[in-house]
Amino acid sequence: MTLRDLVVIRLGVAVNLVIGQVAAVLLLPVFLDTIGTVLVAALVGPRAAIVAGLTSQVLNAVLSGNFTWLPFGLVQIVIALYAALAARLGAFRRIATAVPAGIGLGIVAASTSAPISYFLFGGVTAGGVTAVTTVLRALGASLPVAVAAASYATDLLDKSLVFALVAVVLRSLPRQMAVRFRMLAR
Amino acid sequence: MIGYLPGRSAVHRAHPYTPLALAVGIFLLAFAFRTPGAVWLVVVAALAFAAMGGVLGAVLRPAALLAIPTWVLLSVLHGLLGGPPHVALGPLLFSVPGGERALVFGGRVTAILLAFLTVLATVSPGRLVEAMTARGVPFGRVYLLVSTLTVVPRLRVRVRQIVDAQQCRGLRLGGSPLARLRALGPLVVPLVLSALAEVDEQALALDVRGGSMAGGRTALDPPEDRAPDRAVRWVMLLAVVAAYAARFLGRGP
Repeated sequence: MTLRDLVVIRLGVAVNLVIGQVAAVLLLPVFLDTIGTVLVAALVGPRAAIVAGLTSQVLNAVLSGNFTWLPFGLVQIVIALYAALAARLGAFRRIATAVPAGIGLGIVAASTSAPISYFLFGGVTAGGVTAVTTVLRALGASLPVAVAAASYATDLLDKSLVFALVAVVLRSLPRQMAVRFRMLAR
Repeated sequence: MIGYLPGRSAVHRAHPYTPLALAVGIFLLAFAFRTPGAVWLVVVAALAFAAMGGVLGAVLRPAALLAIPTWVLLSVLHGLLGGPPHVALGPLLFSVPGGERALVFGGRVTAILLAFLTVLATVSPGRLVEAMTARGVPFGRVYLLVSTLTVVPRLRVRVRQIVDAQQCRGLRLGGSPLARLRALGPLVVPLVLSALAEVDEQALALDVRGGSMAGGRTALDPPEDRAPDRAVRWVMLLAVVAAYAARFLGRGP
């Protein structure tokens, strides 16, 4: 890994950690906290994206004090691998391809996070997701179904938005800047 | 939430890897056990760890702030919405097996929070960096963990500046969900592009400071790794291995 890769990873992690502030300003029910990981995957590659995702998970826990999020580091690895594959297949070239690819990531991410949430924490994790789980449970859904449905509902919107935003960022990169990134230069 | 609190306790004086190993051990033990009694023994161990570090009072408040919402949600999800048999708690029916599950999950969360908040309060970041450098941890990993925390406040300020600037240009932050979704682009894209514009400059700054040099680095004041430190880490490792072995053999609590 080059020094340049290291700096991109660091910026990706920082973006992951502060982007929630933007979602909060707009009162949107999304996290967007994987945008840096997806961006690093699209600019540098899967290995750097995994490092960015795991570092984000650790530092998020350090900054918030909530270390129960650590097992969800596995979701960051899955996201990094999926995003790098999507970038290699050209999913970020147009928003029309980025959004469906993001929905695919939402399914993959929710399929990874829901079992962690259910088996390790009894379905109680982030406030918004747990609120949806509780409503579904009160409506008569079994706990595994409620946890899975809540994860899919939140992740599909969140990850499709993340992919769309990364596609917009990559399209907005000036050419002389874009060619300096390994994955884009291909 | 909580930062390093200087002190003279045994945990403060220990090699930084020792409290980290204890916290990771408590984390793993919390998931190795399945009965409320065993999980809450791990919580007691986490409380003892915080008390040994002289930070119990400082750690309890943030741990409670983070754990109480989880307890409430667990009580609703597993207790009030759980299956039979139920016991009457005033006008409410509370599931007995659901309550037991809530105690297990709530205990795990509490133990993890107490253990890692104790690490945050007792391990000096500077000593941790020295310990990692002395152990030959690659420069990149140390740089990512420590240096990123210095970028975050700067980026937070930039988010506020971008929000203000875009509002001056007429961007509306309120309105329907669709209107708010449309506002995401004008806020996120400048933030990410401005961060990417700094990459070359920062890589150069890192290079002139020797970031690309091969070979080991010398720690100026590496913390001493004494025999008791190593013994504590080995005991924790053995306890975790024993707990998981018992669990997989079907004899664990």
